[in-house]
Amino acid sequence: MGADDLQAPLDQADDRIVAGRAADGDVAAFGVLVRRYTPMMRAYTRRILNSGTDVDDIVQEAFVTAWQRLPELDDPGKVKSWLMRVVSRKAVDRIRASRPQVSVDHIEHPAPAHASPPRVAETRAKVDALSDALQRLADQERECWVLRELGGYSYNEIAEEMGVPVSTVRGLLARARKHIIVRMEEWR
Amino acid sequence: MTSGDDRPEPRPLELDPEHLDGHTIDELTDYLEAGRVPADPSIDGSPACRLALDALERLHGLTPDLIAADTAAEPEADDGWVRRVLGGIALDAHAGRRIPLPTSEPGADLGITEGAVRGLVRAAERAVPGLVVGRCRFDGDVTLTGAPVRVLVDVSVPYGRPIPPLVERLRGEIAGRLALHTELNVTAVDITVRDVRPHGS
Repeated sequence: MGADDLQAPLDQADDRIVAGRAADGDVAAFGVLVRRYTPMMRAYTRRILNSGTDVDDIVQEAFVTAWQRLPELDDPGKVKSWLMRVVSRKAVDRIRASRPQVSVDHIEHPAPAHASPPRVAETRAKVDALSDALQRLADQERECWVLRELGGYSYNEIAEEMGVPVSTVRGLLARARKHIIVRMEEWR
Repeated sequence: MTSGDDRPEPRPLELDPEHLDGHTIDELTDYLEAGRVPADPSIDGSPACRLALDALERLHGLTPDLIAADTAAEPEADDGWVRRVLGGIALDAHAGRRIPLPTSEPGADLGITEGAVRGLVRAAERAVPGLVVGRCRFDGDVTLTGAPVRVLVDVSVPYGRPIPPLVERLRGEIAGRLALHTELNVTAVDITVRDVRPHGS
């Protein structure tokens, strides 16, 4: 009874209340944020990495950092996009640590086996097509596109995050968009 | 799709500058993101550019659906996961300032952390079922004994209950707890209702 009475209103409270309280050091409130945003952070990390490996570790690391740095968040109502930033930074760090610096003139990646032949479900067809196209992008093209479109980063922020010039980011994004559109057109 | 006649395959969308009347995807994306203003006749007048703009716009419009589908495909966070994450965080990270407490022991120094006092303020919500305390701030120099301090608190209330009595009750509870447990010179408890929950319990 008692615990539920307290837990339920906290679960239903908006981000501003829950994150403000977590920033003040309330572990239960932070637990509500973990529950609320783990699926989205996992999904986003999976898109950046194009793989499920390390996703849990990265999301957990992101929450550890988020807990420490929550007091710095001026507007707790923006905790959702802030968490996306924290986790994308962890994901990009992981990529940069694990990948030798490669030329951006990439070799086109083959489609992963499970992505072809395409499963065209009526309602999900376009999203599936986009998903498939994303999986077939070169790593850096995909990372740029995901940070830009899913993470809402500016070109400058992507450049900073990935350690490449803005002109390179523009080039990578243009190529990513072109490849995605051409592949999605093939599905129409 | 195949049909019986001998129509040629539909041409794939051409996105290279030589097919976009000299424009690039990068330029077209900037144009789109600027809301197609100021209008550029060399883009608007080019059928190839318009096709490319439409495709870029469709792609951009699909992004929220991708996020929603990706998120829905992930399992919900179970208790084990939440425990694992919470087990990895440092509990003393939010201590804040040190607030002096009086002691009769000569030479002794006693204090309580700001974080612990915030915990006292949050706990006052138990006296007002359904109300949830959010962020709590102490405006004033709490490290100085006797300095005036305003307490600023955000709250969430359930829909359907008159707000003033809830807030009054919380205000009294917070003031009482702070007077009992600390030496803070509380001049005001400012409560701001930031959230009204539609399905209040």
